[in-house]
Amino acid sequence: MSFLVRCPQCGARSVYEFRFGGEVKRRPAPDAPEAEWTHYIYNRANEAGVQKEWWFHRSGCRQWFQAVRNTVTNETVESFFPDETT
Amino acid sequence: MSGPADTITFVFNGKTVNARPGDTVASALYRAGQRIFSRSFKYHRPRGLLCLAGKCPNCLMNVDGAPNVRTCMTPVRAGMRVTHQNAYPSLERDYLSVVQHFDWLMPVGWYYKTMTDPRVWHAAEPFVRRIAGLGTPPSPADISGNYEHAYSHADVAIIGGGPAGLAAAISEAANGREVAVVDDQPELGGHLRYSNFEGASLPDLVAQVQALSNVHVWKGCYCFGLYEGNLLGIVQPRCDPKTPERLMHLRAARVVVATGAYESPLLFPNNDLVGVMLSTAVLRLIHLHGIIPGKLAVIIGRSPLTEPVAADLRAAGIRIAATVAPESVVRAVGKAHVTAIETSDARHACDLVVMCGHRIPDAGLLHQGGASFEWNAAKGAFIPADLPAGVSAVGEVTGDSLRAAATLPPERDLAGKRTFVCLCSDVSSQDLVNAIDEGFDHIETLKRYTTTTMGPCQGRMCQLPAIGVCARQTNRSMEDTGVTTSRPPNPGVTLGALAGARHHPTRRTPMHYEHEAAGAVWLDMGEWKRPRYYQSAKGAGERQCVEQEYRAVRERVGLIDVSTLGKLDLKGRDVGKLLDKVYAGRFSDLRPGRTRYGVMCDEAGIMLDDGTVSRLADDHFFVTTTTGNLDFVFQWMKWWLVGTGWDVYITNLTSGLAAVNLAGPQAREVLKQLTDCDLSTAAFPYMACRIAPVAGVETILMRLGFVGETGWEIHFLAESGPDVWKALVAAGGKFDIRPFGIEAQRLLRLEKRHVIVGVDSDALTNPFETGMGWALKLDKEDFIGRSALRRLAGQPLHQKLAGFVMDEAVLPEDGAAIMIGGRLAGRVTSTRVSPLQGRAIGLAWVPAEVARDGAEVDVRVDGRLARARITEKVFYDPDGARLRM
Repeated sequence: MSFLVRCPQCGARSVYEFRFGGEVKRRPAPDAPEAEWTHYIYNRANEAGVQKEWWFHRSGCRQWFQAVRNTVTNETVESFFPDETT
Repeated sequence: MSGPADTITFVFNGKTVNARPGDTVASALYRAGQRIFSRSFKYHRPRGLLCLAGKCPNCLMNVDGAPNVRTCMTPVRAGMRVTHQNAYPSLERDYLSVVQHFDWLMPVGWYYKTMTDPRVWHAAEPFVRRIAGLGTPPSPADISGNYEHAYSHADVAIIGGGPAGLAAAISEAANGREVAVVDDQPELGGHLRYSNFEGASLPDLVAQVQALSNVHVWKGCYCFGLYEGNLLGIVQPRCDPKTPERLMHLRAARVVVATGAYESPLLFPNNDLVGVMLSTAVLRLIHLHGIIPGKLAVIIGRSPLTEPVAADLRAAGIRIAATVAPESVVRAVGKAHVTAIETSDARHACDLVVMCGHRIPDAGLLHQGGASFEWNAAKGAFIPADLPAGVSAVGEVTGDSLRAAATLPPERDLAGKRTFVCLCSDVSSQDLVNAIDEGFDHIETLKRYTTTTMGPCQGRMCQLPAIGVCARQTNRSMEDTGVTTSRPPNPGVTLGALAGARHHPTRRTPMHYEHEAAGAVWLDMGEWKRPRYYQSAKGAGERQCVEQEYRAVRERVGLIDVSTLGKLDLKGRDVGKLLDKVYAGRFSDLRPGRTRYGVMCDEAGIMLDDGTVSRLADDHFFVTTTTGNLDFVFQWMKWWLVGTGWDVYITNLTSGLAAVNLAGPQAREVLKQLTDCDLSTAAFPYMACRIAPVAGVETILMRLGFVGETGWEIHFLAESGPDVWKALVAAGGKFDIRPFGIEAQRLLRLEKRHVIVGVDSDALTNPFETGMGWALKLDKEDFIGRSALRRLAGQPLHQKLAGFVMDEAVLPEDGAAIMIGGRLAGRVTSTRVSPLQGRAIGLAWVPAEVARDGAEVDVRVDGRLARARITEKVFYDPDGARLRM
């Protein structure tokens, strides 16, 4: 594993500079049904292809950002600082 | 012969060998008369120089303690120690060569067939273990110097410094790019160094490249892997005398593979005899080292490949007995060294056989990058195609100017017990035929069953011949048979190079040298060094010292360095909102000057961390985390801030602040000598916090009780660490203050049943199981873990963290098994001998129904079971009266 992740602030850097935060998922409302919470906590889409993910630039600007990454080629399609926690 | 002034001497098998500058270990040994360089893996057949290009297994030796070194790629150094491998007593006379007469006992895959009965294996194991493998791993003492890792970048990385690579370097450099050229030979030039090349003059090319300031040349370095994102792994041997190898991580925007082609052997019986060499090896000996490797040669090969080789041999004074076509060779003759070649109609005596072998594009890096390969019969090679983005190839590696050396698949029957396809593992063409007959007729299963292409040469010598045999035997084309996969590292890399330098980063607290002076015995906690205990007197044992420290805290006063705690400074209007969200308790209603304990959970209700939250002012909080979780907690808080627009600024002050915990009945008496702050319980109650000077240094004072006594946690600027520590020790002198270490702290807190997250809890623990339900505010509108914790709150627990006391005077180990009725029921997480109880006490995971006062369980101690009694009570000061005094 030696691909590059593109930080919206610092540019393309080695993946070892980052912490992976998992797929971007919408957090259910506090009193949403149990099934919805269970799905949120335990299930992953695990796309073979393009998916939106959280990344933290640990050895750089120390900011969380979202990246649209192709999980097959490991290419960062786009990355940005999100406006709201989703 | 050169004069003594430029003679380099080294030691081979105890004897001194003279070498010339520019020699490799292999060329120097050959010049000194050595002909057998190794014994083969299985049959212990004598093997001599074959490729002289670092592509075959024949010259592997032990150099300065490192096994399996390619001696033909290793420049001589004065005083180096070289020994042979895999032969006893000597290369010339190896008793184990008797094995080849028992080859009928070792058919292909014999270990799968014979070692199926454990009794057979156990009988054979001692012998097999001793003779199997190649080379002996070095002991740490054998390795001198330090391995290194280094990191580099380039616009263009060119692998291979032959004519194609140099031309590419010149044109890329002309376009203003930063270029790195990596070549595994001591000088640039590739095959131009030992063969004639029309249309280019080598000195000119090299001079042009060396004049370019934006071209960096790595000579004598080999590239072993092309990884994602154009990351190249490069080994740089002996970049300085004290560094055996440096591993370079080179990241390039583009990679140009200019690795050329190498030669691989032809198939005929006894093709492994000493003196049977590849034509490029013979040319290297003649032109690079001035060595004439024979008097009378037979050239095996096709026109027009043979003509330039013949001309060079003649020019070197070697007579040519015959030039024969590969297909006409019946066998090579000779005991160890070749003495003749027999063809279908003649026998040619000789002392050197020169094979004009298959020319193989050295395309391992392209294969690793994802290229596919297409068979080209005219070139006699698999040609790389579909190169990955950002990777290109130039020169012979693309198939340029290659010609087939022999027909593939072979036209004639190639079965033969001594026709070696794989030199590394002694696999003959007969073995391949047998394996295919047994059903291993796919090139990938054939590879795994016979281990062809899996030895030290990684298939360089054997891959194409093996594909040829497989294609012929299965009536398929070369294309349909396909190639096996090349994976990094290729060539092999030492573990030393991968491991890198033998040192660990160390973090020392600001008071480190105070502890050292006080006799600290150290404990490594992650990167931190912390005092485990202090050796109070020469010869004092750990148990005795820890008990002295324990008594100081319980009876007088003690001082512990807690600078390793994570320390976060949070400022802003909305800090309370953030803390309410990430902690399971409530903090927005915390009054300035107060401290509250906090538990942090994830969305599944699992305990992530705990710590204290102190409100220093309306918009200013100070948070501590456990030592190991700081980075996680910092990132976790920042994550939940994303997109909220909340006014929160988080600063990590962990390294910027020192911290101590002053605790014991006399703690107040000590501290009040150094501060004007009113320390009375009325003015400064338990769980309060203040900003006040101590010993003239501004500090955050928090009245906490982790060890169960009146005490203050004091945080202050790191640079004042030693001063404040010394002032506290001096002020405590009349109370016989003692610094205490981790061991005493763990014992003290265990008597209070304080849980350490990550020690007593694990990645599946929720706060109800550890009895921390009191720290949760489940009625909060929202926080991380709310949904899961509310659900868990209504469910019966399966297991609980319970206290226990041993019935007898034994001390179980942390992690010991808890047994109930002879069945495994749980485990101990922490246990120490409590001076208070006179017995071992501890915390353990037990089934929830057992977690009640007086229940009996068994604990595994020293291989037997010892009775313990569960207790729900806190062992020491259950009401916490001492904390509030």
